[in-house]
Amino acid sequence: MSMLFRTHLRLARASVKQNRTRSFLTCLGIAIGIASIILILSLTGSISNLIKGEVKDIGSDLVVVRPSRSKDAVTSFVEELTMASTFEKSSLSLLDVSSISAVEGVTAVAPIAISTNTLMNDENTIPSATILGTTPDFNTIEPLALKYGVFLNEKNTDSAVVIGHDLALHLYNTSNPIGRTLSFYGRRFIVVGVLDEIEEAVNFDNVNFNNVLFMDINTMENLMDSVQIQQINVRVLNTSILEPVADNIYKTLKENRYGDTNFSVAYGDAITHPASNLLNVISGMLALVAGISLVVGGIGVMNIMLVSVSERTYEIGIRKAVGASAYNVLMQFMFEALILSTLGSILGIFLGYFLAFLVSTVTPFGPYISWEIIAITVVTTVGVGLIFGTYPALKAARKKPIDSLRHYQ
Amino acid sequence: MDDNVVIKLSGITKRYGYGDTTSYALKDFDLEVKRGEFIMIMGPSGCGKTTLLNIIGLLDRATEGEYILNGEDVSDISSARQARLRARKIGFIFQDFNLIQNLTVIENVALPLVYVNRPRTVRLKAASNALGRFHLSEREYYRPSQLSGGQKQRVAIARAIVSDPEIILADEPTGNLDSRSSNIVMEELKAIHEEGNTIIMVTHNPALTVYATRVINMLDGQIDTDIKTVADHNLPQPIYIKAKRRRARKGFKKGLLDVNAF
Repeated sequence: MSMLFRTHLRLARASVKQNRTRSFLTCLGIAIGIASIILILSLTGSISNLIKGEVKDIGSDLVVVRPSRSKDAVTSFVEELTMASTFEKSSLSLLDVSSISAVEGVTAVAPIAISTNTLMNDENTIPSATILGTTPDFNTIEPLALKYGVFLNEKNTDSAVVIGHDLALHLYNTSNPIGRTLSFYGRRFIVVGVLDEIEEAVNFDNVNFNNVLFMDINTMENLMDSVQIQQINVRVLNTSILEPVADNIYKTLKENRYGDTNFSVAYGDAITHPASNLLNVISGMLALVAGISLVVGGIGVMNIMLVSVSERTYEIGIRKAVGASAYNVLMQFMFEALILSTLGSILGIFLGYFLAFLVSTVTPFGPYISWEIIAITVVTTVGVGLIFGTYPALKAARKKPIDSLRHYQ
Repeated sequence: MDDNVVIKLSGITKRYGYGDTTSYALKDFDLEVKRGEFIMIMGPSGCGKTTLLNIIGLLDRATEGEYILNGEDVSDISSARQARLRARKIGFIFQDFNLIQNLTVIENVALPLVYVNRPRTVRLKAASNALGRFHLSEREYYRPSQLSGGQKQRVAIARAIVSDPEIILADEPTGNLDSRSSNIVMEELKAIHEEGNTIIMVTHNPALTVYATRVINMLDGQIDTDIKTVADHNLPQPIYIKAKRRRARKGFKKGLLDVNAF
């Protein structure tokens, strides 16, 4: 058996070599499909690593509370992904914030309430700017580099705001508008601080800090009657008590709402979950689209194999006449298809990582190589070879020896 | 049944077409072939010679009738079993040589051994031996296209005997050759026959019947005449015994060996 295996392999290699250009073009079809899958998976892989890395930077002593529905339906998954819950009445309240503050081991609590409103000053008007209501603790949990001024604190809560770098430019045409005013919610506020420009706009708060206006959440509630809390970030005393504290927060919140569990408490890697999930879905979709090009490549393999089979009808006839069974012929052509697709995938892996490397020179992250990606491509390749090689090989195997011999060479 | 009967065909019918277009390539055909016979099948075009050869060679199936090869009923065996028997028991020689152009001469000769699972070195060695027999040793790594017609046919004969088959089937092996090459090829076939091989050959050339032990004339899918040209030769031994004897005789001639030892 192994003898025939080697013979088939040798034959297939010889045949691939014989039609070099044709084989190369066929491989290229597969290679492009594989390369695009590798590129997409590598890029999304590095983005999700980036987010995970950010959480690691902030600290492993972080607990994040998010509103959610009771986990029962697919809709909650979709909502989580699409942030549809942003537009719904949040299940978290300021009462929860104060209850969490009272939990033992908690050192800082920063709710994040997001709203949009039109910002105005004498020079510019920004329609629907993102306003983030939080507490001074925010800066303790996620230290933000300030370019000018100070962050919100206990003394300036009433009328102070801190704005992001880009927002400052848009509103005041300068990056240092400290002490200048702006109005929204029908009130006047003073800019007390401007954030440094932040390169990595993606973060686990799902907010772009370059374009945001920070204000005190209590002031926000006073003005708007109610606030939508999207997330509560909690810092605990130290990592070792992370788990019990998270459990206590969970219990406290459950008591607050009489046993309802329309919220989630996450820590560690799970914090990035919504973002990673979204990323996974996107990368899955993209990979699927790239998969289409792989199918096209596979059809190319099938096409060439069909040509090869009909070109070699005479040879098949001779082989059968001297004792090759249908199975032998089938294997010979299957091997050829597999070799074509394997060569294509090897080419594709190199091409894909080369492209990912090129892209990484303009993005803040490097190409992400993992054995999972390689495994996925290898499995897909073998699959493509098998699927698209079977029909031509069967066609070859079913040829009748006499008819094939009559076929003019 | 006689042990020496290699092939027994009874009531073989091969029908093509349906209804009014039905035509018979073979009609109720009976034939018994003994081991060591050299049979020539003659007859006009379309009398069913090639069909008969294809059926005997398990390349084709009869519509009706019974075919016993070496005591085994092979009328209704699977195509996989047919292939296995083709690889082990039957050697084919065709009119247009049927060599694979992409393979070297030695690889072509070794081809049948691929399908009986011999290791590559064994295959090449056997092929090299077979080629040596036909004085083609220097041509081992040529491509078939670089050979003359006679050489090609000798390569094909080497391929046919490389796996020591029970019967050798030749379909007009000299049809594409000039008379000189024809003679060489026929001499080779004769030599193979003298080693105890059974040969069935289809030909149009009456001059070649001098090589045969039996000449069958076919007409319209049936046997017209069946003539034994030579006495039975008392040949029905496996090749190796014959070869041994021959070697012994040579040795005896040189005065090296006592013939009574065999």
